[in-house]
Amino acid sequence: MEVPKGGITLIIGPNGSGKTTLINVVTGFLKADAGRIIFEGRDITNKAPHDRFKLGIVRTFQTPHPLKKLTVLENLLIADAGYGERVSEALTGKWLKREEDLVDKAFNILNFLGIDHLWSDWAMNLSGGQLRLLEVGRALMCDAKLIIMDEPIAGVAPALAHSILRKLKDLAKEGISFMIVEHRLDIILDYVDRVYVMANGRIVAEGKGREILNNPEVIEVYLGAQG
Amino acid sequence: MEEESMAQEFFILDVLLWTSLYLIVTLSLNIEYGYAGIPNFGRALAVLMGAIAAGGIVNRILIAIFGVEGNIIEASGGLKSVVNPMIAQNPLFGLAILALSLVIAALIGAITGALFILPSAKLKQDYLAITLLAISEVIFMVSNYNTAIIGGYYGVSVPDILAWLPGEQRFLAFTVISLFVAILVYFFVERLLTSPYGRLLKAMRENEDVVEAFGKNIMTIRIKTVAIGSAVAATAGALYSFYSVNVIATTFNRVEWTFFPFLMLLLGGMGNNRGVVLGVFSFVLAKLFLTVYKFEIKTLLHLPFEATWLEYILFGIAMLLILYYRPEGILREKPVMTPPVKQALREREKPQS
Repeated sequence: MEVPKGGITLIIGPNGSGKTTLINVVTGFLKADAGRIIFEGRDITNKAPHDRFKLGIVRTFQTPHPLKKLTVLENLLIADAGYGERVSEALTGKWLKREEDLVDKAFNILNFLGIDHLWSDWAMNLSGGQLRLLEVGRALMCDAKLIIMDEPIAGVAPALAHSILRKLKDLAKEGISFMIVEHRLDIILDYVDRVYVMANGRIVAEGKGREILNNPEVIEVYLGAQG
Repeated sequence: MEEESMAQEFFILDVLLWTSLYLIVTLSLNIEYGYAGIPNFGRALAVLMGAIAAGGIVNRILIAIFGVEGNIIEASGGLKSVVNPMIAQNPLFGLAILALSLVIAALIGAITGALFILPSAKLKQDYLAITLLAISEVIFMVSNYNTAIIGGYYGVSVPDILAWLPGEQRFLAFTVISLFVAILVYFFVERLLTSPYGRLLKAMRENEDVVEAFGKNIMTIRIKTVAIGSAVAATAGALYSFYSVNVIATTFNRVEWTFFPFLMLLLGGMGNNRGVVLGVFSFVLAKLFLTVYKFEIKTLLHLPFEATWLEYILFGIAMLLILYYRPEGILREKPVMTPPVKQALREREKPQS
C-alpha cells in the first residue's frame, strides 16, 4: 500500500483484520515478518520506534494511552521531538525558551480541541472521549510528516469529530500525511483521499472516498461482516 | 542536668546527621523510582560503591603516595597513623581527601549504575526489581568475603578527615558537612527534576510505549537516570565511611540502604522532593526514638522478643500501612511546575474581567 504525501489515507476492515498490527509494524512496535516499509525513499523496516519518530512518523493508540499522573498540558509537552532528553539542558536551564513556545503551542491545540479548560487536570481524570482528544492533541504537537491514528474519533461527539477531521484536512493541505484506522465511516469518508480495505491480514480492496462502499469485495468482507 | 543537655544535643545531631545521609540516598531513589519508575531494589549497591571509593580507592591512592606497607587491611591502619597527624596540622588536607572521595564515589557510582541497569533492556518491573536486588546482593557478598577490596569482614580504616578537631566537636562538624552536602544534593535534584527532563521521567514511569512513540530512547534515558541516581547515592556511602572512620561491607546491607530509603520515599511521597525531606525526617526521628527507648518500650509493652528486632517489625508494619492507607505518602505528587507552566496557572487563575 502507499500513503501519499499530504493526503489522508484511511484503512478499514472488520475487527481482527490486521489494521492495528499494520500500524504497529509501520511504527516499529512490532517487527515485520515480511515486506519492507519505505518512508521518503528510505527503508525503515528495521528501525526502532524512536528512530522512526525522528524521521517524522508519529502514532496514536487504539486504546488511549494517557500519561495518567501527568496533567493534560504535560501530556502534550512530552510530545515534542527530542525535548527533555538532555541532562545538561535540564541543569543549565537552556530549555526555558522552548518550554515557553511549547506551552503556547499546547494551549492552541487544547483550545482547538475544546479541552483547554482541562489543562491542569490529571489525565487519569479525563472521560473516554476526552482521552481520545488528548491522543489527537499529542499527535498534533510534534510537527510530524506522517501521523498514524488508530480510531481518532471513536467516542467523540459528531460535531467535534467533524471539527477534528477538518483540522486534519487543513494540516494535510500543508503537506502532512495521515494514515488513519477508523470505523466511523459515516463521518470520515468525506475527508479521506484514499481508502484501503483489509481482511485476514491482507489488503483486499482500495478506492477513493465513498466510492469504496460500492466495491463488492468491501461489501462482502467488511460491510457484509458488519451486517 | 549537664548530662541531660548533652544527651539532647547528641540526639539532635544524630537526627540531623542521619537525616542528611538518608536524604541523599532517598533523593537518589526519588529520581529513579519516584520519577522514572525504575524499581531499584539494589540501592544499597551504589552506597557500597561510595564506601569502596573511600575505603578501597582513595585509601589505595594515599597508601601508594605515602608508601605504607602491607595488605589493604594493615596498610589502611598504618595510613591512618601517617595521615591523621598531617590532617591535624592542615585541615584543608582532610577536606581535600573528602572532596576527592566524593568525586570518585560519584564517578564509580555513575559507572556502576549505568552497567547495573542494562538488564532492564529485557526485564520489566517485578523481574527487574528482583534482578537488581540479586546483583546488589552478589556484589555485597563479594565485598564482604573478599578481603582484597575493602578488607571484607575485617574492614579497613579510613583517615579521620576532621582530625584537627577535638573529639567532642567532631560530631558537630561532621553533621554540618553532611547537611551541607545533603542541601547541595537537594538543590541539584530539584533543578534536575523541575525541568522537561523530570517531566519526561514521569512520562516514562507512566507509559514507556508513549514515550518511545514520541521519539525518546527509553534505554538511554534509563541509563542516564540510574547513573545519576547511583552517583548521588554513592556520595552518601563515602560520607558515612568518613563519619565512622572505617569501612566494613556488612554496614551497607539491604535493610539499611535499600528497604529504609524505600520506606522513607513512600512515607514522604513519591515524585515530590519536599515530601522526601518530610519522609526522611519523620523516619529518622522515629528510628532514633526507637533506638533510644526500645528497652523501655519492650518492658512497657511486655514484648516477647529482643528489643533489637522492634524497629524492623515496626518499620515493616509501617510500610504495609502506608501502602494500604496512603500510597501517595504525606505530600502528594504535583505537576512539574516550570516557569511557563506557573505563568499559565497565574494567567488562568485571574478573575475574568
